[in-house]
Amino acid sequence: MNFPDLSVDLGRGLILPNPVGLASGTAGYGFELRQLIDLDRLGALFTKGTTLHPREGNPPPRVAEVRGGMLNAIGLHNPGVDHVASTYAPEFSRWSIPVVVNVAGGSVEDYLECLDRLERAEGFAGYELNISCPNIANGLDFGRDPAAAGRLVAAARARTGRHLMVKLSPNVTDIAAVARAVEEAGADSVSAVNTYVGMKIHRGIRAPVLPGRGTGGLSGPVIKPLALAAVAQVRAAVRIPVVGVGGIMDADDALEYLIAGADAIQVGTATFVNPAAALEVLDGLLTAGERAGVSRLEELHHPTPSSSGDGLALSR
Amino acid sequence: MIRPLSDLGRARDETGEVVAVEALEGGMVEITARLPRLATTARPGEFAQLRAWAGVDPLLRRPFSVAWTAGELCSFVLEAVGAGTRLLVALRPGDPLQALGPLGNGFHLDPVPARAVIVSGGLGCAPFPLLVRELRQGGCADVTVLSGAATASRLYPAERFRRGDDAVRVVEATDDGSQGRRGLVTELVAGACEETAAVYACGPNPMLAALAEALRHLAPPPERAEVSLEAPMGCGFGTCLGCALPAAGGEWFLCCRRGPVMEVSQVDWPGLLALPPAHVA
Repeated sequence: MNFPDLSVDLGRGLILPNPVGLASGTAGYGFELRQLIDLDRLGALFTKGTTLHPREGNPPPRVAEVRGGMLNAIGLHNPGVDHVASTYAPEFSRWSIPVVVNVAGGSVEDYLECLDRLERAEGFAGYELNISCPNIANGLDFGRDPAAAGRLVAAARARTGRHLMVKLSPNVTDIAAVARAVEEAGADSVSAVNTYVGMKIHRGIRAPVLPGRGTGGLSGPVIKPLALAAVAQVRAAVRIPVVGVGGIMDADDALEYLIAGADAIQVGTATFVNPAAALEVLDGLLTAGERAGVSRLEELHHPTPSSSGDGLALSR
Repeated sequence: MIRPLSDLGRARDETGEVVAVEALEGGMVEITARLPRLATTARPGEFAQLRAWAGVDPLLRRPFSVAWTAGELCSFVLEAVGAGTRLLVALRPGDPLQALGPLGNGFHLDPVPARAVIVSGGLGCAPFPLLVRELRQGGCADVTVLSGAATASRLYPAERFRRGDDAVRVVEATDDGSQGRRGLVTELVAGACEETAAVYACGPNPMLAALAEALRHLAPPPERAEVSLEAPMGCGFGTCLGCALPAAGGEWFLCCRRGPVMEVSQVDWPGLLALPPAHVA
């Protein structure tokens, strides 16, 4: 039986050995998970959102569990782009897992300066522009406005020949419009979706659990149906690859994203529960591929008349 | 200075079997499970991320200090305060228990102090049976446990700190005077530290802050003073960045990687007191 080829070419040099990545903000810069799991087996590492200057992050509490998910208001706690470029990137170049640096900013200038400083470094395969962090002031503006998103992406496109992925916010009226705008501006791919704005109320203290505005980014299995719908909408709107993310806990979930039109997926919150979750998703896809006798990933989620379709049933 | 990041290299994800669930008076529960890897690698003050349920509600694991180890067995002391802990205290012998650990920085035992004063408040007892044993086995001749709680039924039983080592002294205090001395356990610290000692503490933040204040006036000063802290925690291994706590000097530190054990001088105590209790989240 042929071992299925799960590689995914996302364009402009970003070829994932398999479709299972680690979502930004759930894997740091890989250093912790490298000590816990065989990170190099995975398809890609999307780093913590990285900003021009180091950020200490928000005051605690920063996380709160809700039914089937969690809220976070980390506030882009990160060491800043210079540290990533000078200290982390040389480490990435020794890893076989492709690393995509997630970049966040408050202005077009912030993003471009981040790219300029990273452009001088080696060791990573591309960028994921975070135009949708719900936890910093103004962080949503680019993600909400198709024209603003397009201008940002066009400016970023002019600065780099590396792969440029744009992470879309679900907290918008028309996600397809934003997706089309960033595609037209030169994005190589989009990832969908970032966290949903949510709130948890503590009845005892009669106030939100999270500080400040009381809102945070909702992630985990609770958002999967919402995120699947967003992925399907985006898939219908653009021709560039779509990376699906939102509440993937196992290979069945991943397969649902592939069926919805994603070319690859990211495992996020599941890693907090189980550091090996993404590896288990990958192994599940491999097993399903072997069972179905497919040779390529596409055959797994686009069954042809000649295939039985049994590959779709990873677990019953 | 802030402590170095904890070593994640020893951490493993292990599924064991519950062998005993003992309900103590007042609501505390001690769960013992066969977790050979954790039992043989955990050091005092380190913790494990536990999960004992299928599905996604609750979603996240729950962090607990390793309270005791014996051969392949590992024990945790906890109380039902939320959805996860309610499921954990309902475990029965034979049930599976998943543990990721050991995690975090534990108590410093190098060099082993000649005298140790342990300050335990309520459920803050959790890391101390193992610490008491390691101190004694390392040659610490004089171990005193100051054990405090609101009322008698909330005191962790003295014998569970000693676990058969009668040389370990346990002095108790309760807020209502129902057992031991009436008052706060921190009021016992000065008397217990008339000679230089290492101080190790765990308990509610107000108790730890009061301890930090008491230690500032202590003569002679403690040989070292460490506290085990808690925070709402997502992952327990440093990637979610959720468990930030305020450090002296104005920065945050991650409870799961820099802590949970911190030197008293490294913590911003007013900042910590301004936070809601960890279980609010």
